[in-house]
Amino acid sequence: MRRLALSLLNTGLALFLAFVLGAIAMWISGYDPLLSYKSMLLTPLSDLTYLFSALAFSAPILLTGLTFAVGLKAGLFNIGAEGQTYMGALGAVAAAYLTRDVSALPLAAFLGVAFAVAWSAIPALLKIWRGVNEVVGTIMMNWVAYWLVIMAVSTIFANPSQPEESVKMPEAARLTPLVAGTDLTLAVPLAYLTAVLIYVFLRYSVWGYRISISGQNPTVAKAYGIRPEQAVLVAFGIGALTAGLAGVLQVVARPPSYSLARNLANVYGLGFDGITAAMLGRGHPIGVLLASVFLGILQEGARHMQIEVGTPFEFIRVIQGLLILFLALQMLRKI
Amino acid sequence: MIDILPLLLTQALLAAVPILLASLGEILTERSGVVNIGLEGIMLLGALMGPLAVDYLHNRAGLHLPDTWWPLVAMLAAALTGALIGLLHGYISAYLAGDQIISGVAINLFAAGAVAYGIQAYWGVAGYKQVPEWAKTDPTWVAVFAFVVAGVMWYILFKSRLGIIIRACGEDPESAFNMGVDVNKVRLLATVIGAALAALAGAYLSIAYLSVVTKELSAGRGFIALANVVFANWNPALAVAGAFIFGFFDALSYWLQTLNLARYEITRMIPYIATLLIVAGVIGRAKPPKAVGKAFRRE
Repeated sequence: MRRLALSLLNTGLALFLAFVLGAIAMWISGYDPLLSYKSMLLTPLSDLTYLFSALAFSAPILLTGLTFAVGLKAGLFNIGAEGQTYMGALGAVAAAYLTRDVSALPLAAFLGVAFAVAWSAIPALLKIWRGVNEVVGTIMMNWVAYWLVIMAVSTIFANPSQPEESVKMPEAARLTPLVAGTDLTLAVPLAYLTAVLIYVFLRYSVWGYRISISGQNPTVAKAYGIRPEQAVLVAFGIGALTAGLAGVLQVVARPPSYSLARNLANVYGLGFDGITAAMLGRGHPIGVLLASVFLGILQEGARHMQIEVGTPFEFIRVIQGLLILFLALQMLRKI
Repeated sequence: MIDILPLLLTQALLAAVPILLASLGEILTERSGVVNIGLEGIMLLGALMGPLAVDYLHNRAGLHLPDTWWPLVAMLAAALTGALIGLLHGYISAYLAGDQIISGVAINLFAAGAVAYGIQAYWGVAGYKQVPEWAKTDPTWVAVFAFVVAGVMWYILFKSRLGIIIRACGEDPESAFNMGVDVNKVRLLATVIGAALAALAGAYLSIAYLSVVTKELSAGRGFIALANVVFANWNPALAVAGAFIFGFFDALSYWLQTLNLARYEITRMIPYIATLLIVAGVIGRAKPPKAVGKAFRRE
């Protein structure tokens, strides 16, 4: 109980300080901090359409956040969610290219997840076999994925009638809004359910236990007959599942385009938002869920802020960086 | 093919400079016992703050300086920015015993946001700003500077008393402390200098090498520098060789692009794939400082 209270206090304090420093940065660069915050934090809550849009933003952030959170449990800094999300989206686009009916949906899920898992297997195996640090390994894979997916979307999977995007999901294979006129699709409950499943998996399954022990102390894990390398592989694999799913859903369940932007705009940066969500949620799947809803509100709010007050959308990334810095400080050690 | 070689090697040398500067900084930092994976972000901030500071002083504050001074001022502004971030990271790592990896990740995220925001907020353009002619400089002298830093750092780390102190903080802080060394102070200073060098690498990219500021200017070079630290086995002299190899693949990628043999997306993958392969190939013999990444607390 005390630990929970302490971590809540630390999180609250970090949030507060990040917003204060953010306000100073805004003020220096000539924008009105109060008006900006008002439109960023309150506008999304003022209207159901906006709120649903915020929830739609939260879904992929939650899924990539789970990638990082599961990695943390195994003692890994898996920052490969970014590239694995691109690969997931690529799988979905490939499915849209291959079939033009409802079967594109299961095919998209299968290909997207398979691509993402294959992509994460490379840094995972390099770590196990050759001791390559996973931060360097996953970042390099992110960049390779970036160019690979951009190439695929501008060549074979290009959309002849809309040069800025890939081929679209066939209409029958789309997950359309649950509430007409909003962005709320099945992606949102699906992502939230995934978080609960991951929580159950980590807490109650044998593999969840093995991952936690290996993450806390590889030597102890070995003494218990657990092979930490296997735990690393499983943690990387599960992380790729959720990151790949995030990419798939951005294509099959994201109105109005149901495609992948040629500059990857609808998947770009999701992996890094996920890191923020995982840190803010203290690596706990349910915490990550709550954090992703908050970040979803920021994403939606930042759009309104840019239109209403003129403060650049990118400002939320500044806030996110400050937030993690303050979380890393762990300002309060005991209460 | 033969006549292209000198050009390719010169290009490799120029591409090696930012990787070398950032790796040298990180070698110093890690030798003292602190790991800073925020290199990429610090580079990006340096790339922004160099041109932004001189633009501000020249155009808005109306400062008059001889034209040859502006690039130096830009470099100085970048180094100061880097030092400031290094101060923060060093303080978190040494004195607060915070998680060094998480602090590094935070620096990267913050920088990505701050640079995108800064370009938009200061110049009012989205994500791309050309560096004016008067703020630019010849990359050659920065290259010379980087090689001098490599030599000096090698000498200090391996041939001087100061070097023994720095390395002791990274290998066995307990003994260093017992010998009367202020471990955390050494670590803080090494982190500050290391971050300043990474920021200089960034300023090199924007005012000397690529002549633009963008939100993706560093393009993974900070992480390639991290790979180079491992490749160089934490030795500044070997880092020169490593940076040249990594730089070669960077230059090769651009050269192949001009040949039109393959789509440019394929050639752009080359530096990253090469980095993975090189790191996977050498890692067995790499030996990091024993206490790197671990906070030192007096009992």
